[in-house]
Amino acid sequence: MAPSSTFSSWRRLCLAAAASVLFSGCELLEFSPNDFRGPESLTNLTQKNLDKLAAKPLPPGDTLRFVFTGDSQRFYNEVEALVASVNQQPGVSLMVVAGDISDFGLAREMRWVAERLNRLTIPYLTVIGNHDQVGNGRASYQQIYGPLNYSFVYGDTKFVFVDTNSREYNFNGRIPDVPWLQAQVQNLQGARRQVVMSHVPPQDSDFDQSLTPAYTRTLAEAPKLAFELNGHRHSSSIGQPFEDGVTYINSASFERNEYLIVTLWNDANDEPQFRLKKVSF
Amino acid sequence: MRHLLLPLLSATLLAGPALAQTSPDTPNPDAVAPHPWFRPRHLILQTAGGMGMVAGGVGYSFLRDRTEADVLVGYVPKKHAGSTLSIATLKLLYTPYTVPLGEKLELRPLTFGPYVSYTHGIVNDGEEDQYTKGYYWFSRNTRVGVVLGGRLTYKRPTLPSGRSHRVSAYYELGTNDLYVVSYFSNGNFRSLSPMDILTLGLGLKAEF
Repeated sequence: MAPSSTFSSWRRLCLAAAASVLFSGCELLEFSPNDFRGPESLTNLTQKNLDKLAAKPLPPGDTLRFVFTGDSQRFYNEVEALVASVNQQPGVSLMVVAGDISDFGLAREMRWVAERLNRLTIPYLTVIGNHDQVGNGRASYQQIYGPLNYSFVYGDTKFVFVDTNSREYNFNGRIPDVPWLQAQVQNLQGARRQVVMSHVPPQDSDFDQSLTPAYTRTLAEAPKLAFELNGHRHSSSIGQPFEDGVTYINSASFERNEYLIVTLWNDANDEPQFRLKKVSF
Repeated sequence: MRHLLLPLLSATLLAGPALAQTSPDTPNPDAVAPHPWFRPRHLILQTAGGMGMVAGGVGYSFLRDRTEADVLVGYVPKKHAGSTLSIATLKLLYTPYTVPLGEKLELRPLTFGPYVSYTHGIVNDGEEDQYTKGYYWFSRNTRVGVVLGGRLTYKRPTLPSGRSHRVSAYYELGTNDLYVVSYFSNGNFRSLSPMDILTLGLGLKAEF
């Protein structure tokens, strides 16, 4: 009698323990570090942020101010400090992150960053970086954030985000998707200026050099292009490396404890103008 | 000494990988008592712990059942990871204490050890000349980690061969090299919590 009653009480205890573990800690039950299952609140974040942005429209003709940063990979303390700093900034509509959300392309890493960025009071949007594509990271990024190439219009500005991580596709000649980019930048969808953002800048050796001429020409011919934004290099810079009138702005990584506030408007000739302000946090 | 050392060395160095390639789940029908040293001691069925949605395997035990070497082959379907993954894991476990809980039950409150896993089927695994040397300093398909857990064992009648015949349920909390690096580097230990980097595996072990 004693053993069987011991057994049933242990069994009950085990069942209770197993049930509580299963319900409270589903994320602990990880099938693989490449497994991207997770809470619904941390999926489809691009669309969720676009919805938030759409809920706070900018009146036509208004100057746009947004935060530009990149390369949050493994700098979790810095993400928290950045969020606290950005939340203090008045008159900023959104934040854009130029890729490398994660370091190892793991879903957990992307969620660790997303959980912290979700504390921003403004919407934020990301483009995929090369580190986000390591292993099965591309699938994790799509699950947690969303599409690899996408665009949206906010106020008078069209944003075009494009995957330029050619090395992660072993330079297959299709990344970046230049025909897609051409179609995007040629149609302003009513916007009066546009911004292109990608992770790897076209002057970098991780960019498919067979596509560099087509890519840079596409940008040079893009109507009302204010500039292209990049990450990857972990140091801020601004210039016109192709001497074709297109300004390329690189972000510092999160570890440099700085970000840019970009102010964007159109002048009397309806040409896009911008001003950059570096903020340390 | 031969009983202790030979199986330990042979099993970890030779038998484990060799058996992992054949079909380890099928016990050899020709086996007679006393069992040859290379015959696995137990069968394993596990979920999660970074070793597969389902993982099955075999294991050996040495040093009066206190040390085990387990070989697992796990499976993750495409819908959970972006590609179908198969994961081969070698796990070493040490169990310092066994607590009897009655005639039929015993508890091993502490079981711990290292593991190494290799994942096949990763989307972007790196092709020749894709990356310059050292472009990424970490492996995309090989993880090393540690597990720490416990086990509850139900003792069934001893087999005619004199071997014990037990079924155990276990849990293992674990982590891997990349999660540990995330936790400790850049002063991030202030930012991530230990819970962030833990995984949980649940499984059954049946001696046969």
